[in-house]
Amino acid sequence: MRNTYLRLLQLVTGILIAVLLGIHIVIMHLDAILGFFGVDVNDVTSWGSMIERARQGIWAGLYIALLAVVLYHALNGLRNVILELTPSARTERVVTWAIIAFGIIAFIGGTYVPAALLAG
Amino acid sequence: MTEDSTKQIRFKVQRYNPEHDGTPHFQEFMVPSSQSMTVLEGLIYIKENLDSSLVFRTSCRMAICGSCGMLINNYPHLACHTQIEEFHSNTLTIKPLPNLPIIKDLVVDLIPFFNTHKSLKPYILRQDAEEMGNPTAEYAQAPHALETFLQFTYCIKCGICISACPTSASDKLFLGPQALAQCYRYCADNRDEGEQERIPLVDTDHGVWHCHLAAACSEACPKGLDPALAIQLLKRRLVSRAVGLGKKQQPSPVVLPPTEIKPKLPFPEFTVKGT
Repeated sequence: MRNTYLRLLQLVTGILIAVLLGIHIVIMHLDAILGFFGVDVNDVTSWGSMIERARQGIWAGLYIALLAVVLYHALNGLRNVILELTPSARTERVVTWAIIAFGIIAFIGGTYVPAALLAG
Repeated sequence: MTEDSTKQIRFKVQRYNPEHDGTPHFQEFMVPSSQSMTVLEGLIYIKENLDSSLVFRTSCRMAICGSCGMLINNYPHLACHTQIEEFHSNTLTIKPLPNLPIIKDLVVDLIPFFNTHKSLKPYILRQDAEEMGNPTAEYAQAPHALETFLQFTYCIKCGICISACPTSASDKLFLGPQALAQCYRYCADNRDEGEQERIPLVDTDHGVWHCHLAAACSEACPKGLDPALAIQLLKRRLVSRAVGLGKKQQPSPVVLPPTEIKPKLPFPEFTVKGT
């Protein structure tokens, strides 16, 4: 059932991306609409504001979760495309491990700053 | 074939003999066509009157055997089930089915296709091996249970769905719509208990999850089957099993045949020879 679980996770991460990315877009780009509802986000795109959000657990968690689901969704999709175009057992192993390694490195790189800010 | 009802149709037929030709090439034939004439009849005319070396596969001439699948004007059809006038054109381009290796001219090698089909165990599998080997009765099946998979039993294994499938074109290891639809057909059959054996065969990198749902197979199928639907239903069965949802299919019980069998009506006397 490995492929079924992988595909199911692809669907679940797709839905999660829509939700988490939706929150990100609303906060970052739709401040006029938020202002209409009485929410003041100040200068949300400034460096200071970004660092401030990264220090708050809920925001840091949201962005770490967004990074994780985007990486899984994109890299699993890329793996499926590559395996379809170059079908062989050897390619399968190489592509799978290369993509897992890339995903882990990208996740560590992406979470280093918020994790460091949260810790210290 | 009267003079006024015939018109000349140009058949551009792909020829390829792997023993002599480096690459496939086209050869043109002028074929007199009449109303309701099929593409297969045109090919038979060529073989009988113009070039006896033309090779194509045919048998039943009534869309039952699935032998004469070929690419006609760049779309896969059964030649016996396709009338020339359907194309409203004086030129027909005829090529062998794509996504399958060519043996000669319009004949493709269907052995890999049949091997894939056989690998998914397209037959009833039961736990009661003794009853399967030496049946004492029948497996009961209600009409509504039969309807869940009935349309997929009409597959004639012509290979047209494979040749229409874009995933089969790009992924040579893809199981293909025919085999996957037949896998669903047997998994959905309540007389069958072999789903556990078949799932590992289709839950692979080149199995059921590689279907992109282009539905080209369903559009091309000459028998009107919907293999894309079968693949979607197979995906649903896999997900239901993975997350532990869905109703578990109970194997149909063994029942004795009816004790009172009505005798068949005799043939009318005038149809019986010697009366």
